[in-house]
Amino acid sequence: MKLLDTEGCVTPEESRTHIRIPFELGENCERLNLRFQYAPKKLENRERAIALLKESYDLYILPEHREYAAEHTDRHLPLNNLITVSLDDARGYRGACHRHDPLQELFLSRQEASPGLMAGELTAGSWSVTLSLHCIVTEICDYRLQIWASEKEESA
Amino acid sequence: MTWFACELHTHTLHSDGRQTLGELAAGAAGLGFDVIALTDHNTMSGLVGKEEIEQEHGLTIIPGMEWTTFYGHMVTIGLSEFADWRQAGLDDIDQGIAEVHRLGGIAGLAHPFRIGSPACTGCFWEYKIDDWNAVDYIEVWSGTFPSIQTNNRRAFDLWTDKLNEGYRIAATSGRDWHEQKETDEPISVTYLEIDEETADGKKAGGSRTDSGSKETPAGNGSCAAEKARDTESEKNAADGFAASVSLEDRLIQALREGRASVTIGPLLTMKLNAGGESYRIGSVVPAAGQAEEHSGTTAAANELISVDLLLDFSVRAGLWSLPEQTFKLKLQSNLGEELSLDVPVPVSAEAEESASDHGGHIKTETQNQAQQMRLEAKLPHPTDKLSRKWLRAELWGHMRGVYVRIAFTNAIYFEYEEGATSR
Ligand SMILES: [Zn+2]
Ligand SMILES: [Zn+2]
Repeated sequence: MKLLDTEGCVTPEESRTHIRIPFELGENCERLNLRFQYAPKKLENRERAIALLKESYDLYILPEHREYAAEHTDRHLPLNNLITVSLDDARGYRGACHRHDPLQELFLSRQEASPGLMAGELTAGSWSVTLSLHCIVTEICDYRLQIWASEKEESA
Repeated sequence: MTWFACELHTHTLHSDGRQTLGELAAGAAGLGFDVIALTDHNTMSGLVGKEEIEQEHGLTIIPGMEWTTFYGHMVTIGLSEFADWRQAGLDDIDQGIAEVHRLGGIAGLAHPFRIGSPACTGCFWEYKIDDWNAVDYIEVWSGTFPSIQTNNRRAFDLWTDKLNEGYRIAATSGRDWHEQKETDEPISVTYLEIDEETADGKKAGGSRTDSGSKETPAGNGSCAAEKARDTESEKNAADGFAASVSLEDRLIQALREGRASVTIGPLLTMKLNAGGESYRIGSVVPAAGQAEEHSGTTAAANELISVDLLLDFSVRAGLWSLPEQTFKLKLQSNLGEELSLDVPVPVSAEAEESASDHGGHIKTETQNQAQQMRLEAKLPHPTDKLSRKWLRAELWGHMRGVYVRIAFTNAIYFEYEEGATSR
């Protein structure tokens, strides 16, 4: 049963913010499925990437090492967007999937769950997905989140 | 007293690691670790099946989580429940640390000077900390062959600055271990000291290292936590299940109290003798007046103090190597470098006596074909009005052609006059 299908578009200004997406889970859910994707992953514009890196070097690297860093930007390229998913049920935290894949197909059931999420009772009530926008480097980044419940164990 | 070899910063495929907990545990056991802390990013789901894996590999696994936030990464260990990392803004990490403490855990700054976003999101520590007393530890060495990295040098200096300001903060290493990949770079180990007498709550396999000294330090400081623990064990004894505190909890307590020593080679430990009492790493030497009040002994902090230093080359045998050379063993404090001793390895004579140009007295003793080397140093009085706030030992030498810090102890602290800060 489809519970949610939402799309959005975020920009670099929204870096370091969370987007909380609530949804209701009904009774008798045996398996909760989530599909999250975002694109683009990479910042293809090399000039822009190097400019962003140099800005960050001013913040994070000692003045005497900045020149060296600026000449070796390749070790930090390409730059990527990073959005991670965490999940809460009505009672609390159900884990997070802090990894770099721009497409994540996740599930939870009583016995099992995708790595990062916690298996256990799928209690009816108010749940939420939190999208954590760790870093958006492309001008725009589109995301889509789909959530559906299955009554019996089946592959997503 | 027993020193446990710990790897305190690890990841599995429950976050962005490329290894299962079983693979990680096997790798850690193979490298001679007794203990690992699992610190996946923002989740504790990787701990499922922990007990079987501990048994299979003779390893203790401490539960933990790396708060992987927008303004810094914070390693939290020793808590079984989740503390929410998502609410922390730039100015409110103090509440986050308080929550970790409320859940029985401790918190440390992870790789505080690693480059931040966009190269490594949130990796640079930007949080403003109101109360540095609340910070349990700083991961001053991150990654493999950590002592040559600029980022780690900055973290080490941050630690030293905080000690100078009077805070009592522990320092650790963490590999930030994401995958089983062969490396020929030196691997750092954080050793934590557990009391032998109370370390029977839970069995852990591996090759724990006996420091060779059985005496219990009679007056190991005025730490409130120490007292709380004593009271608890008394209570437990009265209830008929003495010393039921788990090894996990004791390891956390050890780090909370700064009973730690970090190395990419031999294990370096020290004990300090002042005013007739013995003080171990992490403990507090009371000021002269206080010592008199409490134990009737005289002027502990201002008398000539002797420092027993022990270099144990037998730890994790065969898993690291250093070229033959003359090392420098240094005693460092807020007063600067107080002493620097030449330590030739291997030593030519069974025992060797010399006097340093600082007036320190050095006695070297080697045992078991130079597997252990004991040195005794006498520290001079502080020459001016400055009082000593803390003291640590450091081993310096050549490794891979670079002159680096090879090992360092956590601090022994001193009660001192004027504006003293204490936990
Ligand atoms: Zn980190
Ligand atoms: Zn990490």
